[in-house]
Amino acid sequence: MNKMMKVVLDILIVIACLAFLFLTIEMVSSYRYAHREKEDPIETELRVFEYELRHKSYGEIIDTYYVERMYNFEPQDGMEDIYNVAEYAHAAFMSRVYAEKGDDRMSESNALRMETVRNRLGAYAYTADEVDEVIRNAP
Amino acid sequence: MRCKKCGHEIGPEELRCPYCGAENSYAVQHQKNMKRFKKDYKKTRNEVIRSAQSTRGLATRAAILIVLIIGCIIMTIVTSLNYVDPDPREANRRDAERHVDEYVSEAEEFLKRGEYTEFVSFMYAHDLHNIAWDKAEHLVSVNYVAQEYYECIEHMEEIILRSTDPDYFDGLDTDIRNFCMYVDGFYEVLEVQRNRKKSKEYHAYMDDMDAELRAAMRTYFSMDDQALEEFLSKTEAQKAVILEGILRHE
Repeated sequence: MNKMMKVVLDILIVIACLAFLFLTIEMVSSYRYAHREKEDPIETELRVFEYELRHKSYGEIIDTYYVERMYNFEPQDGMEDIYNVAEYAHAAFMSRVYAEKGDDRMSESNALRMETVRNRLGAYAYTADEVDEVIRNAP
Repeated sequence: MRCKKCGHEIGPEELRCPYCGAENSYAVQHQKNMKRFKKDYKKTRNEVIRSAQSTRGLATRAAILIVLIIGCIIMTIVTSLNYVDPDPREANRRDAERHVDEYVSEAEEFLKRGEYTEFVSFMYAHDLHNIAWDKAEHLVSVNYVAQEYYECIEHMEEIILRSTDPDYFDGLDTDIRNFCMYVDGFYEVLEVQRNRKKSKEYHAYMDDMDAELRAAMRTYFSMDDQALEEFLSKTEAQKAVILEGILRHE
């Protein structure tokens, strides 16, 4: 009886040793995962933003803005330019919508908003002209 | 003690009386008992030693197994914790729980100003649709409609403000497909929420979103009222074909 118990325990110990070994490797991997080098998301967004600006892809900038704003309604440090350019593009898009709808109140407040955002654009002021041109000529 | 025969004083361990030679029955019985006890003791001792020798390995093995199992459990916990990434919404959730009343009234202000995409973003950013059911319940219906409106406007903006650079990725097909899906979703949700009496006070906002969406489609897809109604009556795939024609000038 005792001999059989010893054999059973020996088998269990071998299994436990293998599990221990596997879990040690897994724990080391998980530690490396937890301490992996992470890319600064803002830096990445800014690189993508510059790339999209070069190709005048304001639609993609707006997409980034909508996604980001779901997490941070106010821009994080470094994201202000993306928010400003996208906000202007959105307001410019809506300007024709309000005009078509005949909503003078919204048209006025939207024009004011466009003006305010345009003044915040700084080095990216040229984007406002580009967006205006696209909106004017659409579709 | 005294000898039973002659009455002289004798020691308890003396087997016979030194005076009369009579047998000391107590001492004899005692001697017999002692012999038996020694025999039993030896037997028991041997059994204990034998048993201990046979189970000695078992205890060691059990101890090793327990240590290994505990080690495995600890490593599993540590591994799981290492793989868990922090929830990016956690801070927002905590903040919203503290300022829920303030945020709900701010969200209502966005509605009053007609800033519907901002309203949806604000609701999400502050997790109001998840954490504040009791305080933001009145906004749920209008939020459903606003979400669909938001998606429609977002995809329209992506379509209209897309890059025309031939070296840039052309995602127009995807954007058109998404827009067609969401515009159908908007009218389905609008119909359901418009029929809810609970959301009556927000029907005006829903109608306003509908009017804005129609104005946007008329403007940016060059449609008159009749063409728009016709467009809206089509299936998702038919809508996509129509838009493809308009936007690619085919």
